[in-house]
Amino acid sequence: MTIGTTGRTEAIESRGNPGAVARPRVGGSVGTVEIAEVGTMTYRSRLTEALAAGWRYGGTHVAAGGDRVRTLLTAPGGATLLLGVPVEGGKVPTVVDLAPAACWDEREAADLHGIGFIGHAPLRSLVDHGDLGRWTVPVAGTDLCQVAVGPIHAGVIESGHFRFHLVGDRILHLDARLFYKHRGLERAAEGSTLDRGAAYVARACGACAVANGVAYAHACEQVLGLVPTPALSRARTLLLELERLWSHLNDVAAICAGVGLAAGNTRFAGFTERARRVNAELSGHRFLFGTVRVGGNDLVADGGQVRAVRAALDALRVEVTSGWRELMFNASFQDRLPGAGVVATEAARRLGTVGPAARAAGLAEDVRTASPRLHYPGFRPVVPDRATGDVRARLEQRGLELWQTFDLLDGLLDRPVEPATAERGAPPGPIGVGRVESPRGATTCVVESDGARVTRLRLRTGSYANWPSVAAAAPGNLLVDFPLINKSFELCYACADR
Amino acid sequence: MNAVTTAAGTAQLVGGVALAPLLPGLVQHWKARLQGRRGPSPVQPYRELRRLWAKSTVTVEGTGVLYRLAPSVIAASLGAAVLLVPLTADAPALGVGHDVLALAGLLALARFAAAASAWDTANGFSLMGASRDLMIAVFVEGTMVLSFAVAALVAGTTDLRGLIAGTAGTAAWAGPVLALGGVAFALVAIAETGRQPVDNPDTHLELTMVHEGPLLEYAGRDLAYLHWAMAARHWVVLVLAAQVFVPHPAGGWAQLALLPITLGVLCAVLALTETLLAKARILLVPRLLAAGALVALLGITARLAGIS
Repeated sequence: MTIGTTGRTEAIESRGNPGAVARPRVGGSVGTVEIAEVGTMTYRSRLTEALAAGWRYGGTHVAAGGDRVRTLLTAPGGATLLLGVPVEGGKVPTVVDLAPAACWDEREAADLHGIGFIGHAPLRSLVDHGDLGRWTVPVAGTDLCQVAVGPIHAGVIESGHFRFHLVGDRILHLDARLFYKHRGLERAAEGSTLDRGAAYVARACGACAVANGVAYAHACEQVLGLVPTPALSRARTLLLELERLWSHLNDVAAICAGVGLAAGNTRFAGFTERARRVNAELSGHRFLFGTVRVGGNDLVADGGQVRAVRAALDALRVEVTSGWRELMFNASFQDRLPGAGVVATEAARRLGTVGPAARAAGLAEDVRTASPRLHYPGFRPVVPDRATGDVRARLEQRGLELWQTFDLLDGLLDRPVEPATAERGAPPGPIGVGRVESPRGATTCVVESDGARVTRLRLRTGSYANWPSVAAAAPGNLLVDFPLINKSFELCYACADR
Repeated sequence: MNAVTTAAGTAQLVGGVALAPLLPGLVQHWKARLQGRRGPSPVQPYRELRRLWAKSTVTVEGTGVLYRLAPSVIAASLGAAVLLVPLTADAPALGVGHDVLALAGLLALARFAAAASAWDTANGFSLMGASRDLMIAVFVEGTMVLSFAVAALVAGTTDLRGLIAGTAGTAAWAGPVLALGGVAFALVAIAETGRQPVDNPDTHLELTMVHEGPLLEYAGRDLAYLHWAMAARHWVVLVLAAQVFVPHPAGGWAQLALLPITLGVLCAVLALTETLLAKARILLVPRLLAAGALVALLGITARLAGIS
C-alpha cells in the first residue's frame, strides 16, 4: 500500500511503538513503498530499530524541494520503507555510523544539495573534488609513498582517479575519486514528464541501460498506480537477463585481462560480442538501448525469432561451458585469484555491498528473489561453495550466475514476445521506488512526482553501492594486484557520474 | 679469415642489428594468431622504429645526465652484447671478446642505466617498474650465471665460442646435465625478454608494469633506441638458447643454417607460453627463478659427480 505523506506521519508519531513500524513485512503483491515521515529526534532511533529488525539500508536522497532527506530501507521480503526527515537549518542528523553504506549518499547530498549531516565528520567531498585535503584520508607514517593513477588511464577506461598510499608495493589505503564526468542527469530530469524522464535514466550508463530503465519504469508505474501484465513482466525480465548475460561474460574476460591471460580474455570477449549480437537480433541494439519505457513494452519477437535466439544461446552456452572449464583448470590463472581483494561477509554487510560481490562474500541477497513486478518464479540466489569474498569467489559467482541466467533465458524464450502494457491495479502515490538486480547488484530508482512530472529523481546503481567496497578490498594487497581486484568488481564509472 | 667465419660474423652483425626486431614481431604475430586475432604483421616493430626515429625526443624538466644518457648506454650495452654473442663456434672476434660473464655484466649495465634514469625522472610508475625489475634481476642474474656454469662445466670454458663448440653434437646431450641447464636458462630467457609469466609486454596497466615502466618518460629517438635494445635482448638471449641449450650440430655452416629455424621455434614457444599462461603473482617470480637456480645447481652437482 502507498500511503500519503502527512497521514502516515501522524500515524507513526502517534503510535508510540516504533518497533511495529520497523518490522519487515512482505510488500504488496506488486511491491509498494511505505513512506514514513519522522522527526529529527526520532530519525536515528527509527533507523536503528529498523536495521536491528533486519531491514537493509538502500540509499539516501534529498526530497523534491530540498526540505527533506529520505532514507530508503529494504526488507529481504521486498518491502520498501522511506524514512523522511525534515532539513532543519540546512542540516539533518547523519546515519553513517548506523549504516556505513550511507557514506557516499550523504557526501553526495552535501556536495550537490548543500545539506549538512550532523555527526558525519569529517564530511569529505565526493562529487565536488576540491583540494586534495578535502577528499583524501590523511595517512601518516614512515616509509609511506603515494601513487596517483588516473583520471586519464593507459587504456579505454572511464575517468577515475585512484590515490594509493603504499608501504613498498603493499597498499595501506586507497582513496578513489570518481565523478569526473558528472552530468547532472537527475537534476536535468526534473520537470520532465514521467515518460520523458526515461531518456535521462537510459543515458546514465551504457552497460546498465536495461536495469536502470526498468528500475525507473517500476518507480514511475508505482507513482501512476500501474501494475505490469504478465507479458510485460516477462519481456522486461528477458531484457534484464540478456543484459546480465553479456555483462557477466564481459566481466570474466576482464578478469582474464587483469592477469594478462590473453587466451581467456579474447575467448570471453568473443562470447560477449556474440551475446550482444543476439541482443541486436532481438531488439535492434547490441546494448538493448531504447527497449524499456514507462507503462509498456514495444519489443516484439515472433516464434521464429524467439526460436533463433534460443538456439543461438544454446550454442553459446555450450562454448561458454568449455571456455569456463579451461579457465578453471588453468593453474597459472587460478594461482592469481585466491586471497586477492577480500571483502569478507561482515565487511560486505557493513559496506552495503550488493550483487555478485556481496554473494561472493556469502550474503545470499538478490533483488530477484522478491521482484513481484518481474517474472522470477521460485528464484533462489546462488552462492559459491567457498564464499570467501576474494577475486576467486567473485569469478566463481559470475560463473554460477551465468548458468542461472542461461536457464532463465531458456524458460523466457519458450513463447513469442508481444507488445504489452501495464494496467491500473494499485493506488497511485507521490513517490515510487523501483529496485532491480542489475548485473552489478541492486539498482534503486526513486521517483518523486506530482502525478505527471518528475519532481525528484534519484538513481542509485549497483556500481554506486559497490565502489566503496573496491576501495575497502585494496588494503593489504600488492599494488600489482589492484587491476585484477578492480576488474573482479568491474563497476561502471558512468553509473556514478549520472 | 675463412668463408664460414666471414659468414658467421656478417650474420651476427646484420642479425643482431637489423633482424632483432623481427623476433618480438614474430612473437606478437603468432600470439595474435593463437588467440584468434589477426594481429599486427611481424614487421610491425620496424614500423614502430621508423615512426619513433622521425620524432623528436623530449626532455623531462629537472632531470640530469642519468636521464639523458640512459638510452645511449642501454643501446650501447646491447650493441656490445650483440658483438659479444657469436652465432657459431668459429665466429670472428669483434673486439669485445666472447666471455659469457662479460655478457651478464653488459645486461646488468643496461638494467642499471634504466633504473638510474627512472630515479632521475622520479616518475612513480618508472620507479615502481625499475624497482620491480631490480628485485627480479637479483634472481635472474644468479640463475643466468648458474645455467652458464652448467654449460661451462660441460664445455670446459666460459668463452662462448667454446661453449657452442663444446655443447654441439650429440655427445654433450648423452647425460641430463645440459638439459638441466637448459631448463634454468629457459626461465632466464623469459625474464630477460620480459615475457609472461614474469612480465606482460602487452600491458598498459600502469600498476603492473615492470620493463615498460622506465620507458614511460622517453619519446622519439630515445624510445627507438630503447625499443631496439629490447629487441636486441631477445636476439642475444634466444641466440644463446639456440646455440648452447638447444641441441645443435657441430659444423659452422650447419650451425648457421639451423639457427633461423631454431629461433623461429623459440619465438613460437614464447608465443605459446604467453597465450596459455597468466602473469604470475610478482612474489612468485623470485621463487620461480630460484627453482631454476636449483635445477642449474642440480646440473652442476650431476656434472661434478660425473654423471655426464
